[in-house]
Amino acid sequence: MTAGICTHTREGRRHRMKLAATPYLFLAPFIILNCVFFLYPLFNSIFLAFYQTNGPKSRVFVGWDNFRFVLGDGDFHTAIVNTTIYAIASIFIQLPLSLGLALLLNSRRDRMKGFFRLLLFSPHLVGQIFVGVIFSVIFVPRFGLFNRFLQALIGWGLEERWLENPSLVMPAIILTSLWMYVGFNMIYFLAGLQNVEQDLVDAARIDGANAWHVFWNVTVPAIKPVTTFVVIMSTIGSFQLFELPYSLLSSGGGSGFGPKNAGMTIVGYLYNTAFNTGDLGTGSAVGWLLALIIFTISLLQIRISGTLKRDA
Amino acid sequence: MEFPYGKAPLWILALAIGSGVGVMGGTLTRTRQKPDLVFATFAKQHHESYVTVAPDFEKRQGVTVQLQLLSGRALTSRLQAAILSDAPVPDCVEIPSDAMGYFARGPLEDVGFVDLTDRVKREQLDQRMVESRFSMWSSRGHVFALPHDVHPVGLAYRRDLVEQLGINVETDLQTWDDFVRVGRQVTRDLDGDGIIDRYMMDLPSDGSYGIEILLLQRGINFFDAQGRLIMDAPDVRQAVCDTIMWYLRQTRGKDRISFPCGAGQPLSKAMIDGLCLFYFTPDWRTKIFEMDVPVLAGKMGLMPLPAWERGGRRTSVWGGTGIAIPKASASPELAWEWIKFLYLSKKDLGERFAQTNIIPPLREAWDLPQIQAPDRFFSNQRIGRLMAELAPQAPPRYVTPYTSQAGTKLNEVFLNAALRYESSGERGIEDYIRSEYQKAADYMRRVVDRNAFFKDSSNKSGGGEGRAKEARP
Repeated sequence: MTAGICTHTREGRRHRMKLAATPYLFLAPFIILNCVFFLYPLFNSIFLAFYQTNGPKSRVFVGWDNFRFVLGDGDFHTAIVNTTIYAIASIFIQLPLSLGLALLLNSRRDRMKGFFRLLLFSPHLVGQIFVGVIFSVIFVPRFGLFNRFLQALIGWGLEERWLENPSLVMPAIILTSLWMYVGFNMIYFLAGLQNVEQDLVDAARIDGANAWHVFWNVTVPAIKPVTTFVVIMSTIGSFQLFELPYSLLSSGGGSGFGPKNAGMTIVGYLYNTAFNTGDLGTGSAVGWLLALIIFTISLLQIRISGTLKRDA
Repeated sequence: MEFPYGKAPLWILALAIGSGVGVMGGTLTRTRQKPDLVFATFAKQHHESYVTVAPDFEKRQGVTVQLQLLSGRALTSRLQAAILSDAPVPDCVEIPSDAMGYFARGPLEDVGFVDLTDRVKREQLDQRMVESRFSMWSSRGHVFALPHDVHPVGLAYRRDLVEQLGINVETDLQTWDDFVRVGRQVTRDLDGDGIIDRYMMDLPSDGSYGIEILLLQRGINFFDAQGRLIMDAPDVRQAVCDTIMWYLRQTRGKDRISFPCGAGQPLSKAMIDGLCLFYFTPDWRTKIFEMDVPVLAGKMGLMPLPAWERGGRRTSVWGGTGIAIPKASASPELAWEWIKFLYLSKKDLGERFAQTNIIPPLREAWDLPQIQAPDRFFSNQRIGRLMAELAPQAPPRYVTPYTSQAGTKLNEVFLNAALRYESSGERGIEDYIRSEYQKAADYMRRVVDRNAFFKDSSNKSGGGEGRAKEARP
């Protein structure tokens, strides 16, 4: 009898342990991979930022020197300014255009809605590298499609050297990114617009609201969560921009950063430091500074949108 | 018997074990079939040509060779990562010249390639090959790769149009002064619409590769053979200022003689239309252009660069590939035999020239019939012979981890000067260029001096040697 109870208890304990371990067993592959490929490199990069390295064999502790150098480096300042300009353009040019297109496509009557939705979204399906290469040809002086279009439209632009003139490089990058991302962000706005309650819109119209009033007082507040999400994602995406300008400005034998580094972004600076000159320590320092910048801006945006929400 | 967590996890587990066994089996099979020599390159043309000769090498040596083709960036970055982390590497690799700087960033003993200095001396390759080409593959006096090419630069031109204009390239265009004088006469708005329809030459308006080609022609490097920064040496500074002034005049203002045609299709279109008459071309670009624009066959010509002063150097260099043996190679001796087979075998070098127009640095190969043959695309001109005549004049180009960054800083100086030139003309421009250049040189010194691993080569001195000496392995 005693032996039977003991066996029963042992089996019960084993069963309970098995049940308790089961979730961890299923989580184990993710946890192991995450630790090896994410957490270890993440923490290692903190240490790396305080060293000058030439691979694991040669390391010299330099304290805060990498951070000091980066923060005092004119090229890094240029990269911050370029990235910020691009981020501002993303938010204030790209997103309103995306919203405008979404509003146009949100019309219920349009039979071609699906077709236009696909048409506007499709540029995003092409990789950034391809887009960069294609636009490097489109912006060619005299023969480029864009220059010819401008010349035909406004009688200016045939000879403009978009990718060789430092003051035109950033507009060229922004124009390229508009082609790529306006349709992509439009999909988010479209999803948001389709959730705007028609009853509210109808009620506003009955109360005498015109189209603008409906848009401003009903639609905009209703799509605020989507807008906040898109703004935050666009900002983060803007601060991580690299492939598009690099491929746009690499074609034809360029350095990838444009004349006077006019197309150098923060990630471009990181890439150049870590992988062209091989200074992985300084590259890590740049990576952490970038993370800090993105974190701060995202926090500010969430705070601001939260404040507006409360005010509303 | 039932699996305790249900059917789905059982299937997941079965799949995981099955695929794991499959991968392991594949790896074991590959390990058993491992070739004796693994060779990786980034150049498609090289790969195609090596594939045809590899069986001969395999037969002679009684070994198997595996050839891998990767993109240049992939090859360089994977090799960097593999060397740094002691991961398996190919036994022999071809790398682009700018990549060498990265590999030679640390102490000499940490350079991931076998030091070939003694082998080069033993085989007298420093005399049999164009000596200046070792500059790209050396660090602090040690050779880490053999040069694949010379890449002398000349000017390709629309022979038919140039002849119609009555220009004799041999007598009328001996110096850059001659070239500019003639260029100002031929640069014209032909139809009176206010837009110039014919320019003398293609020059990138942002300076990019154009200024470097011209500086190298003058023998100017920003680093010396020991890797020391010499940007602020007086003769380097003077030559840079003179070259920037020259370049500004030819790319800006009413007297400019150049148009930025770009590369690839835009350049092809510009040449077909006769928008530009001349453009810089190293040997490799002649073949690419020939393949891109067959319509211009028989209408093109090739000439040496005009000299900076009468009787001066008539060429420069643009690009380069080298072959190296990673230190972790399992068969360094076999790799060295492979290198000699590829780079020193006269018969194959002739065939390779016919496929690529790339002139080999091995002097004894220059009399090969393929190199001496007339080229139909270039109006039956013997362009191989011309390139071979220019090859001994090829200037050295020293590559360090900072060479590309120094080029970017030079570009900034040029563009600042260009803005000033466009707004205020030539008044005070030379002083302005000097002061901007000094700022760039100071910046580069700060960057280079941060490298804790370069201190053994007394990098902090420099600045006094001026024109860098040819690399002597």
